[in-house]
Amino acid sequence: MEKLRGKRIIIAKPGLDGHDAGAKIIALTLRDAGANVIYTGLRKSPDYIARVVIDEDADALGLSILSGSHNALVAATIECLRKFGGTDIKVFVGGTIPASDHEALKQLGVVAIYTAEMKLDHIVASLAEHLG
Amino acid sequence: MSGEDLRWRQQLARELTIRARAPASEVMTAAISFGGKARRIGITGPPGAGKSSLIGLLAKQWTERPSKVGVIAVDPTSPLSGGSLLGDRIRIDGVSTNSNLFIRSLPSGNTSDGLCPNILSLLDAFEQAAFDHVILETVGVGQVSYQAKTLVDTFVVVLVPESGDTVQAMKAGILELADIYVVNKADLPAATKIATELRSIALWRGRNESWVPPVILTSATENRGAAEFSEAIESHRKATLTEERVAALTIARREYVLRTLLVGQIDEFMARNRAGLQDASLAECFRILIAGLGERADVINKA
Repeated sequence: MEKLRGKRIIIAKPGLDGHDAGAKIIALTLRDAGANVIYTGLRKSPDYIARVVIDEDADALGLSILSGSHNALVAATIECLRKFGGTDIKVFVGGTIPASDHEALKQLGVVAIYTAEMKLDHIVASLAEHLG
Repeated sequence: MSGEDLRWRQQLARELTIRARAPASEVMTAAISFGGKARRIGITGPPGAGKSSLIGLLAKQWTERPSKVGVIAVDPTSPLSGGSLLGDRIRIDGVSTNSNLFIRSLPSGNTSDGLCPNILSLLDAFEQAAFDHVILETVGVGQVSYQAKTLVDTFVVVLVPESGDTVQAMKAGILELADIYVVNKADLPAATKIATELRSIALWRGRNESWVPPVILTSATENRGAAEFSEAIESHRKATLTEERVAALTIARREYVLRTLLVGQIDEFMARNRAGLQDASLAECFRILIAGLGERADVINKA
């Protein structure tokens, strides 16, 4: 049950929503799956998040967004990551993301979208697959 | 972020990952410096004392000079899953990016001294990248986790007013080793009392020394003590930077690397031979262990 052993994963909250219960549950779940999880805290800018990803030499970045601004925030964060040369970082998104937006996010380069009704075991297994 | 900034950040980030994961055989053969231009400051203290916030205060002052500040922030590895939740940087760099500041969060891994594997190699990576200051934040520690003392040039112990009743108990441990005491959250009522107790410990310790450890009161809510803290670190450097001390620290640091490599080999050997070691008597197990390590010690001779 340590499918993510040794992986370095950033959990970040871009934008202005102040709810991080979900981000914290994911952070703990990934920790229990053996990952080294770095949580950035609330209300971070895409530029800040991308720099943390570079400095921490992360394997993956999880963005938790409940504000409804996911399309713009994910696009801006991925743009910053590209600018900083972080194109090999796997980006996943969680939060209140309507199904109608999933395709557009994947077009931006998001590897997976995890929503509240999903089982935590499923999320771990899916991430482990994406991170090889 | 400029192209040049980006390049060195990426390089350092990858180098730190490689060094953090390097096996014992590589650590032994790599040529690393045990000190140099980069000033090494260790910050330790109980969980929740405010170590990360204080590092944030130092980093802010020093990066504005400007000088390059590196931080290694260690948080515990879960003994159950091997995973970790690294949350120090939230309190170190706040919200804005700072091109003179580089923070790496690391898990304590298989170490039990409040540090992380290959720590001296990681400190050296900042030296190679021409940093002016490297701050090492240990995991939140109790009374006897003072291994960082010889790995840094200035060793800071952070306490809070609530630590008051523990001070007595800690007198024969970590409190004997601090170069600087910080009483954080000094806006709380019991701060003066603990500061007085610490001052008496400091005077006693300094009675035959050139350096009497100062007691600095800091408070984030009252924005107090940051400049004084930074000056105390500077004064300690000037007061203690002698050739003898540098030589003694180098020896201690080399010994630390050897000891941690040896402990690592013992752990590996035990893990490989778990089944075999069950049946034999303890005396026999010990003999097998020493013999097994003897074979592996060859690597040290060749290095």
